[in-house]
Amino acid sequence: MALAQPVLTKRIPTPPFGNMADRKTVSYEQFVASDGYKGLHRALSMTPKEVVDLVKASELRGRGGAGFPAGLKWSFLPPEDGKRRFLAVNADESEPGTFKDRMLIDFDPHVLLEGIAICMHACRLDTAYIYIRGEYHHQREVLEHALKEAYEHKIFGDGSMLGKINELSPNCYIHRGAGAYICGEETGLLESLEGKRGWPRIKPPFPAVAGAFGRPTIINNVETLAMVGPIVLNGADWFKGMGKGRAEGVPASVPASFGPKLFGISGHVNRPGVYEENLGIKMSELIERLGGGMRNGKKFKAAVPGGISMGVLSTDQYDAELDFDIGKKYACLGLGTAGVIVMDEETDMVAVARNVARFFSHESCGQCTPCREGSSWIYKVLSRIERGDGTTRDLDMLLELSGSMGAMPGTTICGLADGTNWAVRTIVNKFWGEFESRVKKERYVSLAVAGTR
Amino acid sequence: MAWITKNSGSATVARRDEPYLTDEMKAKAEREILPRFPTKQAATIPLLHEIQHAYNWIPMQAIEELAAYLELSASQVLDTATFYEEFFLEPRGEYTVWVCRSISCELMGQDKILRAAQDKLGIEPGQTTPDGKFTLMHVECLGSCGTAPCALVGEKLHECLTPESFAKILDETK
Repeated sequence: MALAQPVLTKRIPTPPFGNMADRKTVSYEQFVASDGYKGLHRALSMTPKEVVDLVKASELRGRGGAGFPAGLKWSFLPPEDGKRRFLAVNADESEPGTFKDRMLIDFDPHVLLEGIAICMHACRLDTAYIYIRGEYHHQREVLEHALKEAYEHKIFGDGSMLGKINELSPNCYIHRGAGAYICGEETGLLESLEGKRGWPRIKPPFPAVAGAFGRPTIINNVETLAMVGPIVLNGADWFKGMGKGRAEGVPASVPASFGPKLFGISGHVNRPGVYEENLGIKMSELIERLGGGMRNGKKFKAAVPGGISMGVLSTDQYDAELDFDIGKKYACLGLGTAGVIVMDEETDMVAVARNVARFFSHESCGQCTPCREGSSWIYKVLSRIERGDGTTRDLDMLLELSGSMGAMPGTTICGLADGTNWAVRTIVNKFWGEFESRVKKERYVSLAVAGTR
Repeated sequence: MAWITKNSGSATVARRDEPYLTDEMKAKAEREILPRFPTKQAATIPLLHEIQHAYNWIPMQAIEELAAYLELSASQVLDTATFYEEFFLEPRGEYTVWVCRSISCELMGQDKILRAAQDKLGIEPGQTTPDGKFTLMHVECLGSCGTAPCALVGEKLHECLTPESFAKILDETK
C-alpha cells in the first residue's frame, strides 16, 4: 500500500505529493509553522525514560544501514554518573548509491536538529557532534545556518529549553570529516572525532558504554534521528501503522519493518531521486511508480537494494520487497541505506563488480590484513577478467577470497570487508554465466557487449 | 587510499621563519574549536582544515607547529593528516576538480566526463595544470547518485554532467 501522507518529506516536495523543482530549504519559522519542534516540546513534558520507552515501543530501526532498533540502542546507556555523555550524529554518508541524508540536510535541517534535541533529552547527553563528510560543503553551510537559528531560539546553548544536562548547557556542533568512507563506521567515526585516523575499534566495549573520549556515546544516522520528532509527536501506534509489520505467528521479539523510509533511486531510471515510501514496497513498484520506469525503454537487469555493500538483486528478483528482511529472502546482505541502484540490460556486470571492488580496496582503512590485501586482490582479479585475461580458476579464487574476509567470517574488526565480500559474491553468483563466458573467452553472449563502451 | 604511507622519514622539511599557524588561527581555535572537545587532540582535524583553507595545502612545518600547539607529537598529527584524502601534504592547484567514479556515476557515463576534463586540462588524475590552476582528482562516491555523473570543482558540486557542460564549467571557473 502506498504511503498516505509524507512524513520526512512533509516539507520537502516529493512526488507523488509534490514537485521536486519546488524544493527549498525550510527556515526555522517555516519549520515551526508546520508542526516543527512540537515533538520536542512534547518530549520535554515527558521524563527521559518515557521518551526512550516510546521510541522503543515504536520499534524504529536505524536507517543508517544496520537496522538496529534505535530505542534499544538508547536503553543500553549505563545509569547517569553526573559526568559527560555524547551524541554522535552520523552524517558521513559515503555509501555509493546513498544520498538521502544529503536531501534531508539540504532542505529540512531542523527536522534533524529536533531529533538531536529529543535524543539529548531522552538519553541525558550534554554534547552532540554532527559528523558531516568533508565533501558536503553546501550541506555544512545549511546546517551551520540552521544551527545558528536553533541556538537563537534556545534549542541549544546557555538557557536552552532542555535545561542543564550533566550540569552543562547542551551544545550541538558540526564536525567536518575529511574524505574517508570508513569514518561512517561508528567506532571509526569516534576515532576520527577524537582527532585520530578513522580506524574502527574492537568491540566490546560498545560505544554506549565507552565511546567518544571514553564516555558513553550514542551514534545515530541522520534519518533515524529525523524520524524521532514525528514519532514523539504522533505516537508509536501511528508509526507502526505504516510500513510492514510482522507476519502472523512471528513473536514480538523479532524486529519488523515498521514505518516509512527514504529510498534513493539512481542509475538507469527515468526519474532518479530520493522518495519516501512504506518499508516493504516492491522494487518493481519503486522503479515504475516513483522512478518513472527504466530509461530508454530498456529492460531491467539488476539492482543494488541499498548501497553497494549489500550486494545485488538479480533479474528475476525484480519484485523483491524492500524491507529489513530482504537479506534472508533474496540472498543479499540486507536493506542497508535503501539506496537503490538500477541497472539495465546493457550493463556489464563484470565492470560493475570491478568498480565495486575498486571502491572497497580504495576505502579499506588498512588495519586488518584480510580486508586490505583481499579487497585489492579481488580488484586485480576482476580487472584481469574484465580485460579478457581471466581463467576459470580466477572465479573460484574470487569466491574463496570474498568468503574468507569480513567480520562475519570473523577475520576483520569492522564490516567493511563484509561489504566487499557480499557485493562481489552476489554479483558473481547471480550472474555466473556472464563471468563464465568472459573467462572462457567464448563469444560474449550477453547484450552487454553492445553496451556503452 | 588511506593506508598508503607517504615518504616522511627521509624527507627534508622546507622551513620558513614566519609561522603557518598564525595568532589569528590560535585565537579562533581558543574561541570556537577547543571548547567543543574534552581533549586537545580532537581539534586536530578542524585545525588541519583551517590550515588547508588558509594555504590550500598543509606544509610539514605547519604540522609540527600544530602538534606543538595541541601538545602532541608531530608524528601523531602526521598520522591523522595522511589518513584523510582531503588533506594535501603537497601544493596543489587553485581549484581541485574531484570527479566521482563510483558505481552510479560509472553507470551514467563517468568515463566520458573524466575524458572531457583530461582533454580540457591536458593532465591525468593526480596531476596539476602547469599554470597551477587545476588539480584533477578521482574521488569515490560524492553522495549525489541521483544526479550522476557529478563532480566537485573546488567546493561547488556540479550535477547531471555531460562532456560539453563539464568543459564549459571548467572554462568558466575563474
